[in-house]
Amino acid sequence: MMLAFLFFVGLNFASAQTRMISGTVTSADDGTALPGVTVQVKGTTVGTTTDLNGKYSINVDAKAGNTLIFSFVGMGTQEIALGSSNIINVVLKSSAMAINEVVVTALGISREKKSLGYATQEISGNSINAVKSDNIINSLSGRVSGVQVKTSGNMGGSTNIIIRGSKSLTGNNQALFVVDGVPISNQTDNSVNSRYQKRGGAGYDFGSAASDINANDIKSISVLKGAAATALYGSRAANGVILITTKTGRDDKYLGSNGLGVSFSTNVTAGVIDKSTFPTYQTQYGGGYGPYYSGGAHPGLYNGPLPWTGGQDALYVPTTEDASYGAKFDPNLMVYQWNSFVPESKNYQKATPWVNAANGPITFFNTAVSTSNTLAVNGASKSTSFRFSYTNFQQTGILPNSKLAKNSFSLSGSHQVTKNFTVSSTANFVHQATTGRNNTGYNDNVLTSFRQWWEMNVDVQELKSMYDLTGNNVTWNMSQPEKGNLKPIYWNNFYWERFNNYETDSRDHLFGNVQAKWDITDYLSVTGRATLDTYNSLWEVRKASGSVAGAFGIGLGDVTSGYARTNRSFMEANYDLMINFKKNITEKLNLSALLGSNIRRTYSSSIFASTNGGLIVPGLYSVANSASPPLASLETQQTIGVNGVFGSVSLGYNNLLYLDATLRRDQSSTLPVDNSIYYYPSISGSFIFSNLLKADWLPFAKVRLNYAEVGNDAPFASLYDTYAQPSPFGNVTLFSVPNIKNNSELKPEKTKSMEAGLEMTFLHKRLGFDAAVYRTNTINQIMPVAVSYATGYSTKYVNAGVVQNKGVELNVYGIPLQTKDFSWNVNINFSANRNKVVSLFDSVKNLQLQSFQGGVTVNATIGHPYGTIQGKDYVYLNGEKVVGSNGYYERTSTTNNVLGNVNPDWHAGITNSFTYKSWTASFLIDIQKGGSVFSLDQYYGQGTGLYPNTVGTNDLGNPMRSAISDGGGVVLKGVTEDGKPNMKRVNADRYSGPFGWARNPNAAFVYDASYVKLREAQISYNFSSKLLKNTGIRSLSLGLVGSNLWIIFKNLPYADPEANLGAGSNTQGWQSGVMPTTRNFGFNLKVQF
Amino acid sequence: MKKILFILLAFLAISCSKQKLADLNKDVKHPTDVPGNSLFSNAEKNLSDQTVTLNVNDNNFDLWSQYLTETTYTDESNYDIFTRNVPDRAWRTYYRDILEDLNRADSLIKGENLTAAEDIAAQKNSRAIIDIVAVYTWDRMVTLWGNIPYTQALNINNVLPAYDDALSIHKDLISRVTADIAALDASNGSFGDADIIYGGDVTNWKAFANGLLVKLAIQIADVSSESALVTSSITAAKDGTFASPAENAIFKYLGGTPNTNPLYVDLTLSGRLDYVAANTLVDEMNAANDPRLPFYFDQNLGTNTYKGGAYGHSAAYGNFSHISPVISEDPTFGNPLMTYSEIQFYLAEAAARGIIPTADAPTYYDNAVKASIEYWGGTAAQAAIYLAQSSVAYDQATWKSKIGTQAWISFYLRGYEGWTEWRRLDAPAMNMPPSPSQDGFPYRYTYPSNEQTLNGANYTQAASAIGGDKLTTKLYWDVN
Repeated sequence: MMLAFLFFVGLNFASAQTRMISGTVTSADDGTALPGVTVQVKGTTVGTTTDLNGKYSINVDAKAGNTLIFSFVGMGTQEIALGSSNIINVVLKSSAMAINEVVVTALGISREKKSLGYATQEISGNSINAVKSDNIINSLSGRVSGVQVKTSGNMGGSTNIIIRGSKSLTGNNQALFVVDGVPISNQTDNSVNSRYQKRGGAGYDFGSAASDINANDIKSISVLKGAAATALYGSRAANGVILITTKTGRDDKYLGSNGLGVSFSTNVTAGVIDKSTFPTYQTQYGGGYGPYYSGGAHPGLYNGPLPWTGGQDALYVPTTEDASYGAKFDPNLMVYQWNSFVPESKNYQKATPWVNAANGPITFFNTAVSTSNTLAVNGASKSTSFRFSYTNFQQTGILPNSKLAKNSFSLSGSHQVTKNFTVSSTANFVHQATTGRNNTGYNDNVLTSFRQWWEMNVDVQELKSMYDLTGNNVTWNMSQPEKGNLKPIYWNNFYWERFNNYETDSRDHLFGNVQAKWDITDYLSVTGRATLDTYNSLWEVRKASGSVAGAFGIGLGDVTSGYARTNRSFMEANYDLMINFKKNITEKLNLSALLGSNIRRTYSSSIFASTNGGLIVPGLYSVANSASPPLASLETQQTIGVNGVFGSVSLGYNNLLYLDATLRRDQSSTLPVDNSIYYYPSISGSFIFSNLLKADWLPFAKVRLNYAEVGNDAPFASLYDTYAQPSPFGNVTLFSVPNIKNNSELKPEKTKSMEAGLEMTFLHKRLGFDAAVYRTNTINQIMPVAVSYATGYSTKYVNAGVVQNKGVELNVYGIPLQTKDFSWNVNINFSANRNKVVSLFDSVKNLQLQSFQGGVTVNATIGHPYGTIQGKDYVYLNGEKVVGSNGYYERTSTTNNVLGNVNPDWHAGITNSFTYKSWTASFLIDIQKGGSVFSLDQYYGQGTGLYPNTVGTNDLGNPMRSAISDGGGVVLKGVTEDGKPNMKRVNADRYSGPFGWARNPNAAFVYDASYVKLREAQISYNFSSKLLKNTGIRSLSLGLVGSNLWIIFKNLPYADPEANLGAGSNTQGWQSGVMPTTRNFGFNLKVQF
Repeated sequence: MKKILFILLAFLAISCSKQKLADLNKDVKHPTDVPGNSLFSNAEKNLSDQTVTLNVNDNNFDLWSQYLTETTYTDESNYDIFTRNVPDRAWRTYYRDILEDLNRADSLIKGENLTAAEDIAAQKNSRAIIDIVAVYTWDRMVTLWGNIPYTQALNINNVLPAYDDALSIHKDLISRVTADIAALDASNGSFGDADIIYGGDVTNWKAFANGLLVKLAIQIADVSSESALVTSSITAAKDGTFASPAENAIFKYLGGTPNTNPLYVDLTLSGRLDYVAANTLVDEMNAANDPRLPFYFDQNLGTNTYKGGAYGHSAAYGNFSHISPVISEDPTFGNPLMTYSEIQFYLAEAAARGIIPTADAPTYYDNAVKASIEYWGGTAAQAAIYLAQSSVAYDQATWKSKIGTQAWISFYLRGYEGWTEWRRLDAPAMNMPPSPSQDGFPYRYTYPSNEQTLNGANYTQAASAIGGDKLTTKLYWDVN
């Protein structure tokens, strides 16, 4: 201090009151100039930014300060004390080590990270856009502690993203995305179609609008995890916020002399299925349910007259029997198989050897190919900047006839109208068109056949050639071929199905903002902003004439053809007005304050129309082409309004202590008038104790503490009852009491949260960590609780329930090795969340969230974590499974046994990155421990004899599928009711035997969902500027990238534990007909001119 | 400073009135006020659908009564109602989709402000008819499960309704339907076309209510403590009930989805081949050369050749008799909810038991069988030949087996009634399937699994009161 003082005094004498400091700011990464770097005189609001060439100049009032702060988003902040020289050149580093990092916080306010009293974590745009995916959210997995990402595996599908555990019992738990101030929800569309889909019924995962955020436009992502971080956003941010800042015209380091920068990147990715996520089948037995057909010596086959046998009996396959408990394969056994009945087949009226098919279901899948091309142009002058980008993304999926195309346009610009008035705007338009999404769930799903209902003798390529040859629905699963009825009974020809019964959908999505900022004085500014997020989507579903009959359309009647469409529109507008105040009260004490208001209006509507009773003219997909008069369309319309006022005060003292307080008041249209106003207070503080200790070994250390409350309103129209209107019965009008009882006395719900954190760096900043512990209690939850049907209702809206989440998050980073040319960085994210349902409603002890096929339910149970999987369990005696007198496992009569939980114990992501000269490489390992999933695929698939565990030798050394009299059968491990070892031998040669659904409790099919995955790996090379000299190219990099490369470990057989029906709290923990995981290998090229 | 004031004023301007904001919260696509008649119509349709459907998720009684058996997936034939949560769905349909709508229909109709005398009289009739349909539904439930929530049911403010004793519910139903009979005035109208079953005909409803009283009484004929009530009820009702099959309560379906007979959906539209005739029924009918055979079953095995699959065993669809196309291919096929034949069987039983003069038993019995044969399309001559056989002809010494078997045959595709008749009269002998989900035949439904999770204490009490929540628990009236 003394030195500085002397220096200061000396300076005073040496020069005038002010002096001009100038210099150049360059990047440590590549030595290039950095435009747009903020240069500020410490302790004042005096500042400037660097120009296109990274140059700056600033007048420093000697009285005001003697230190300059250089800051740039995504890079470290540097403070430089003024010396004698008036030229100060600065090199800024972009690395995890940047302690004086500036981060973007709620409402887009940039703050020094060190000053924050809550947890945030930043990800740079570069790190997530190397590996292209149709959904940006997939790229977040494993990168941030406390964030759980669950990829559905559905092409173009939604991805579940939950921060710090599920807080709402029945509502939305998805994190909110905010792009340049525009809130974008990750909630999946909640219309008629998808409600059915979420229960595991027929349908598609149509994705969510958040997937339209273009990774190429992202400059940085800031993850605001706790309520204190998000309190200013109000209720919608109770589940955490993924705050995305997009690139502006000034963000490119490579602006040319004309002020323009052009960059182009291309990415080509090929995806192949990960065989560990697809069934391995038994290969010894063919189609049938057991040895009980008329085949005599071959009881797994029929023996009877066929149209061409002249009354003679012949062996033929039971084509209706979509299981593999049939006859044992024997190449010398000649059998009439499904294609023997097809006139176009070379095997028509011919018996063929009874063998395992040469081409199994895995040959059904294609190599997925995706290409992404992005062109971006940006430019800046002193007062104006703009950026335009266009991305074309094309993808073909692993299923035949599946593709997705997305065109994204983005334009952003800002203009300084006068010295203290700036206007800016961003606009994004995304058009997405998809054909042939995979069906999800149980019905109408090709994967359900492959995983649950299949005959091993059927050659998939033979199905393809029959479809190619005839164009018709020639199936292996014929109704009664021996009687000439070749119609499909349960399964279409899969190729015919994919090319005829495909869905198409499209979405036009526009989002953006306009903003004006007025600097009234140097300490006071006003910002006004309007944001818009709107999209229109069209979903069209087809069932071609001649399909297997299935529930379809509005009436959900069984039809063999049909057409249905849903048009949906959504619009959300936000109008924000904010006053910012920022002033140093004294040299050591700075104050900033904010007062703001927000008006939000959300409007959504949908109309669902369908044919009734099938199509008249095959192949004409219009509602008017309905065999019976179409039923009335189903319409929804919702408007929600919230008016909010908020304020915050931040105090900082001498780089040592920081204190923030915020308060927001919301008034929502969905609450009763007298209860419509609610408040969210938050207070947070941080203490940088390293600045007190001033120890060399501890360059930075900070503790932080916060408390916050977040309120929430009710769903639309949950205050009063309306009637449901079933389709009329002829001329008789029908109305019905609705299934949900609404409640006119709802109160706002509240989440109270507390968090403490510790950040430290050691070893000259080569090692550091950021740890957080938190607890949130969500109380007075507004939810539809399931009630006894004896009340006349299914559910009732109440304020009830307390859910507690406790957890720890740890982010450790380090540089184990660093030399001039080589460095190795490690970044580890770990998070563990413990969720507990503390109370529910009245004396209700269990809340059923979803009931799934297979007799399992997902529940919130008092004393248990949210998301218990319940069903029938084994009966145990002294720890051993009890086997009944019939030789099969006994099952509990109760169905409320907790068999597992959808939530994992902990999550971790480990990123290793290496740089060597111009080479960079990195890989990300993603780990989940715990969590459970019920597999309907195993429940049925073992019961139909598809899997290897249903064949093999028994304890006597004989094939278990032989008759008991021939030494076959199995003795299940367990004890009888009196505790003696079970000795009873049971048949294993048919369905309803010892494997599968008929004889086992649900517990047998609940699996541990743990995994260790090599999520991502990449290697890239940056051509040096020397090499590119005189080429007109400023930078060029090439890379090889891969994602979902290897599931190193998992316990769930033949499927990815992450695969699911789509995003949403109530759709997790249950698998049926899930897609195999795709391993992606790609090539990247980025060039800037 | 002025500038700041200006901005603060702008803030104030944005807060609009609370009411204006609340007005956004209106569901503009669904009504808050509807005619009560429309809820009654809906309840009738739901009751009929639930009664007749063959969807394995909703109704397995045509299997349990062993009229039919399954081809490939034999789980339900083997009494597995757990995998598909069948009791949950039934409980939900009865309480939520039938009784709650009837309840609301009644309160809406009661609240109508009427002035014309004939409207007021019709209102009184309508309310009695609603109650009759409700009693019919409650009888189904209490005879299916035993103790159920009754006095505390249908009240959303009590989400933990206690279960009532089955017999006391049954007695209350008898007194309710007795009061309804008295309230009906056939000289006035009621619902008109909104009544899908009778078109609002009060005379028919009065006969139906008397039949229902007979049915309720005969169900507890073995409960010795109630013999006086049984006798008085049957004596009072027997002459007021259906005089001929013309008064049968038939729910007539329409030709187009979703208003076809659910059987048409399950058997034809679904394209599935799930059901064939069960040997239990076909063997019995073949033995007596039953004239109803060609109406019950398809002649897919050859003219007048009928064969049933062994009950509960896997069966190749092509090898056994199918349900007659007269039934499966007619979307408008009517669903009987109560018939003249059925009531005649109950009266025959009452006579056989001596509740009414025993001498009348053969007449009631012959009337019942003949009406059933004619209902299905047979002739009076065929009925006479059939009845003349010693295996069929009424015999007081074996009345239980005779009435039980014939009533069971006549209840074809009314599985719940056939199974209930079998439970009370223990005839005919049923076949045990090969791998039943529990040891023994089912004598009731288990309670829904979500009553365990949502209404646990009351569930536990009810389960112990009836002797255990098992399929095999016999209910109080099923004493021998």
